[in-house]
Amino acid sequence: MGCIGYCREEPLVNIHLPGKPLIILHRVTEKDAEEIVRAVAAGEVPRKLSLCRINDWDPLVGEKLLFGEGFQDVPAYAEIPYFAPQRKVVLRDAGLINPEDIDEYIAVGGYSALYKALTRMSPDDVIEEVKASGLRGRGGAGFPTGLKWGFTKKEKSSTKYIICNADEGDPGAYMNRNEMESDPHMILEGMLIGAYAIGAREGVLYIRAEYPLAIQRLEKAIGQARDYGLLGENIFGADFSFTLTIAEGAGAFVCGEETALIASIEGETGRPRPRPPFPAQKGLWGMPTNINNVETWTNIPVIINRGGAWFSKIGGERNSGTKVFSLVGEVDRVGLAEVPLSTPIRTMVYDIGNGGIEGKAIKAVQTGGPSGGCIPASLFDTPMDYEHLTAVGSIMGSGGVVVMDAGTSMVDTARFFIGFTNEESCGKCVPCREGLKHMLMILDKTLAGKATETDMQTLEELSGVIKNASLCGLGQTAPNPVLSTLRYFRDEYNTLLKKARK
Amino acid sequence: MTIQITINGNPCSSEAGESVLTIARREGVEIPAFCHDETLAPYGACRMCLVDVVSGPKKGVTTACTLQAMDGLEIITDTPEILRLRKVLLELYLAQAPKSKTIKALAAQHGIKKTRFAKKVHPEDPLQGQCILCGLCVRVCRDIMGAGAISYIGRGQFTEINTPFYEENDACLGCGACAQVCPTQAIAFEDITGTRVMKSWSETKVPLKQCAACGNYFAPVPFTAYAYEKLDPAIRDEIRDLCPDCRRKEMTRKAILLRAEGVGR
Ligand SMILES: Cc1cc2nc3c(=O)[nH]c(=O)nc-3n(C[C@H](O)[C@H](O)[C@H](O)COP(=O)(O)O)c2cc1C
Ligand code: SF4
Ligand code: FES
Repeated sequence: MGCIGYCREEPLVNIHLPGKPLIILHRVTEKDAEEIVRAVAAGEVPRKLSLCRINDWDPLVGEKLLFGEGFQDVPAYAEIPYFAPQRKVVLRDAGLINPEDIDEYIAVGGYSALYKALTRMSPDDVIEEVKASGLRGRGGAGFPTGLKWGFTKKEKSSTKYIICNADEGDPGAYMNRNEMESDPHMILEGMLIGAYAIGAREGVLYIRAEYPLAIQRLEKAIGQARDYGLLGENIFGADFSFTLTIAEGAGAFVCGEETALIASIEGETGRPRPRPPFPAQKGLWGMPTNINNVETWTNIPVIINRGGAWFSKIGGERNSGTKVFSLVGEVDRVGLAEVPLSTPIRTMVYDIGNGGIEGKAIKAVQTGGPSGGCIPASLFDTPMDYEHLTAVGSIMGSGGVVVMDAGTSMVDTARFFIGFTNEESCGKCVPCREGLKHMLMILDKTLAGKATETDMQTLEELSGVIKNASLCGLGQTAPNPVLSTLRYFRDEYNTLLKKARK
Repeated sequence: MTIQITINGNPCSSEAGESVLTIARREGVEIPAFCHDETLAPYGACRMCLVDVVSGPKKGVTTACTLQAMDGLEIITDTPEILRLRKVLLELYLAQAPKSKTIKALAAQHGIKKTRFAKKVHPEDPLQGQCILCGLCVRVCRDIMGAGAISYIGRGQFTEINTPFYEENDACLGCGACAQVCPTQAIAFEDITGTRVMKSWSETKVPLKQCAACGNYFAPVPFTAYAYEKLDPAIRDEIRDLCPDCRRKEMTRKAILLRAEGVGR
């Protein structure tokens, strides 16, 4: 099965008795098996294991699913505080359909958007619809997707490629993994529509090798789609053919950067290349290439099916749609949560996450993966979207949210992330390769109580240089954890400094 | 298509798409750069050529080597911000390649005599504490010479350049193009009677060709083979085995003979 994203309550079990609501059981153990079977045989569900009931469900692109009525004493899905603030668009099928069965995907309206695109829309119509939706890339940079597609489309070339970036290398991030494992066909459908719009006949899914289940499910999905004629020649009888292959990632974090990813598919070391030329001009094997993140692709079918205008009403200004966040760290309810963009951090941490573990006070969150900034609790009204997170010194990144409680040392935290990016720097350009090394040395010196005020100035200056002078996004964002903690938690650095001699 | 761009307030004309670094050099505007060579594709690794785009599609700091000229583009090469970035980069280079005279000289030019950063210690560095990892040697060997004898090893701060597995590599032509392009003169090789020893590249040994006339060793055998085939098929037979000196003599002798023949006829 796929996963509905409430990691804290796992393992979950779904029970659907004819005419009754779908019941989700939580924290199920082996010992419960007998009780569950006995209850089900009697047309019942074990109440003390029941997390919630779902009477009906809107898959957005197809007919409403009516499970049934009854079991009124089990709380409804919308009453569960973890789910209430969420809005499931990307993960609408996750945990509810069998991801290994194309028929279940089709039953909830799957591939209807592809049908619509191929039979009733021109490639330009599709691009216009995606532009109208306001969808922006979910891989981190937030570049408008429709605009990007247009770049590759207008290139004159008989061969073009599209790529799905499923390298997800941020530690603690697993939204793309869940999207692939829970609903692989949605990605395929998104890519098919994109390929049609752009004029590509071949696509590559670049998946990190550490995700064997995702790879297996996507392979299966590709096989099924091929059997159904949804991949191959003249799909839906249209003048459109498309094949899709899987490439396994080489394991380095920087391979998620688009130009390094392309180098890696070509069999070279994953080192970023300067842009221009952009992949849209000269990408894979020198051909125009459009690359999008997994979650970007999964948003496409619903946009085509429901229309860009519908999509653009979800979320905030210039930040339409939802985003899946992975909520981890010292927070009571960990899991994957999908919310409209521009939802305040507070909602995520307190309403969905229920605050600190055992009621501990929360000090900060770090968003956006290893090169995101730490945002103090005083700024928790900040909407989680591209512009607002950048304004407070962090980034959206792939959607990681790490919660830190009062017991966390922010200098330690900054050191941890610089340690990670320093380790993952590809070594091509000097600010990132050499600069991060020296930042790490200064941070270690600070933690050892040997740093001075001068070291702090050097640290800050060096951070700025790495940010402004690095070749790729890794270096350009890597200093964020230090810059943000210097900005909001300077006193924690100060208490570690060697006292200036009188 | 000829277009106009502005560098430090001065208009210059160029071809659309040309590298701004190339244009600046042509116009006599000095921009420091370690990793660029006109025969190779822009690489963007050394970050020394940073300039400020004040008017163009994407404003702000970017590298001149990778910036393509387009009509109306306006850049400044020496804003206080650029100079500050460049100074810190030079400090990083001073720490990375403490033995490099090139780096020291350029740093001094920028008013930097000392680096705040800990100097790299690498007692047995085959590149003599002078490599700045600009990658020119790797690219010239692979993209121009077609040999691919050296490459990056490791990543991040532990990146090094050498032959695969630090073993002697018979893909090496011994041509020395790597040493020629190296901006810090870090690469060492030596000719020891009949053999060229690429000291920096795991002591790879390449036999030298002996001149059929004078007996001097004049060029690495694999390189002459490469040169005769790829570069100048016109170099033929009887002069193939001669060193450049003897070749010149031989050609002059022939020319004189030819002329003499003509006179005789
Ligand atoms: C160091 C680094 C790592 C990255 N890792 C990923 C990744 O794991 N997945 C991803 O989709 N994008 C990643 N990106 C962003 C990609 O370069 C690229 O912007 C993205 O795939 C574009 O897709 P989008 O427009 O759909 O966001 C990374 C960027 C950098 C600089
Ligand atoms: S910023 Fe870092 S990861 Fe990116 S190219 Fe430079 S050294 Fe490599
Ligand atoms: S010359 Fe431009 S980055 Fe090296």
